[in-house]
Amino acid sequence: MTWIDFVNLLINGLIEGLVVALPALAMTLVMGVNRFPNAATGDMLTTGAYAAVAVQLLGGWPLWAAALGSMVVTALVSAGSYTLIFRKLAGRPMVSSMLAAIGLGFLLRSLIGFFAGHDQRTFDLPLVRAWNFGGIRILPTDLVIAAVAAACLVVVFVLIYRTSFGRQLRAVADSADLARASGIRANGLMLCLWLLVGALSALGGVLLGMKAVVSPEMGWESLIPAFAAMVLGGIGSPVGAVLGALLLCVAQELAVPLMGPSYKLVLSFVVLALVLLVRPAGIMGRVQLVR
Amino acid sequence: MIAYLCAIGIVALIYCLLALGLNLQFGLTRLVNFGVVAFFAVGAYTSGLLALQGVPLVLCFVAAGVLSGLLALPIGLLSLRLRDDYLAIVTLGFSEAVRISIQQESWLTKGVQGLPGLPKLFASWGSGVSDMAIFATLLAVVAVVAWGTVRLAASPFGRLLKAIGDDEPALSALGKDPAWFKVQVFMLGAALAGLAGAFYAHFITFITPEQFIPLITFYVWMGLVMGGSGTVRGAVFGSLLLMVFLEGSRFAKDWVPGVSEVGMASLRLAAVGLALILVTLYKPNGLFGGKTQ
Repeated sequence: MTWIDFVNLLINGLIEGLVVALPALAMTLVMGVNRFPNAATGDMLTTGAYAAVAVQLLGGWPLWAAALGSMVVTALVSAGSYTLIFRKLAGRPMVSSMLAAIGLGFLLRSLIGFFAGHDQRTFDLPLVRAWNFGGIRILPTDLVIAAVAAACLVVVFVLIYRTSFGRQLRAVADSADLARASGIRANGLMLCLWLLVGALSALGGVLLGMKAVVSPEMGWESLIPAFAAMVLGGIGSPVGAVLGALLLCVAQELAVPLMGPSYKLVLSFVVLALVLLVRPAGIMGRVQLVR
Repeated sequence: MIAYLCAIGIVALIYCLLALGLNLQFGLTRLVNFGVVAFFAVGAYTSGLLALQGVPLVLCFVAAGVLSGLLALPIGLLSLRLRDDYLAIVTLGFSEAVRISIQQESWLTKGVQGLPGLPKLFASWGSGVSDMAIFATLLAVVAVVAWGTVRLAASPFGRLLKAIGDDEPALSALGKDPAWFKVQVFMLGAALAGLAGAFYAHFITFITPEQFIPLITFYVWMGLVMGGSGTVRGAVFGSLLLMVFLEGSRFAKDWVPGVSEVGMASLRLAAVGLALILVTLYKPNGLFGGKTQ
């Protein structure tokens, strides 16, 4: 492998990492506050991608407008799933919420498969040629994807660390009882969180669909990588989720010449198991409080 | 009709065996295994590959159970350090890793083409009779495992496992080390799944990686949770209920006109998803489960 191949793989890994960071962040927010790994996150991604495809097909809108529309739709689906399912499971064993999340994932995926079919779809995008800098190839589309993902991450971080919504959220994540005692009203806050998480997943799905193709299985396939990224970064740490996603995806890309693309998911799993074995709290994680 | 009932019965008993294994892991010990299908797959492939080499079927079955059990050792050791939510995702990831490895390593497993022409159990007895013999053998195995589980749950060892599930810190405080028991029970459950895999391979006689998707894991979970985890009764009746559900949806096709085969598969998956949600919401103890779970 020459250094030019290396740089190409590195760039690709960084862009993929920025995309995976979105679902990883969505998962880590729910994990930090609601205390269960939301296994439906992947299928929320799929929902977002298909909502955007539908908006484009129905209205002939440009992709950015379709993406905005899909963020609204998916945010509503996400908040609805919280109201109808996960709010009622709070306080029950964590396995209940996880099983329900898996069930929700199956439900979303199969409804999409039923109505939209199982053929792969692509977004209506203009075809562009990759820029070539002496062998280092950069697709303009990839730059757009990276920029949008990065901008979205910045917005979420501002929301979490600079607004009263974020302060309250972090207070609930630290100690739900203490937060309630100090007058934080959890219900509205939770709805906002799940709206945010839905919008984040939708954008992740659209970007993933731009990078590859849209299919009913696309989100499920990114569930393990997103979870590995979240664990790698330290559960409940938003910055960690993003760093973890970047690290994981770069490692995955660099491993492709050695193992072939099919083993990417296996590598995610190996990284996940190793991190949990060596440092269960992740790179940025604190020691978990006993619930 | 009898042949059809016999085939359904065999599949139901295979799910029953899987559910009994999961019941040991989750029902008794609260180990959340979302990778049941991995051990099922390894059992099926181990037995299938050995049988194609001419190894007697009895030895193939033993090897399937042993290898699946051994494969659970590293995961079981990992589980000692993990909270149950992490363990859930790790086992889920493990099952996908196993499936992809089976798909990729075609020098061993023939990849996506799968292994056709596996020897059928009791094949020399004629096709109709062999199914009945498989059914009877499975029934005996399930009965023994169910009886063993009941005895186990009532023994001091079983009470220890229950105590691990209920309150592990208290148990450690009493000076018991729960670690090795957890690993043992994880391996035992996995070995049962491997055995179920061998029965599956030598009943269907054709296995591909496509048959070992995570959905199978959640079928087993659905059966166990519907029936009521923690009890043998729950695992057995839950698997039967699951079978009614899966086969019923096949007949529902005649009732819903204008839906294609693929569309029906989607609807069935949707029903599984909905059932998982509804059961956890409204029947957390299952239909036949105790009240204390």
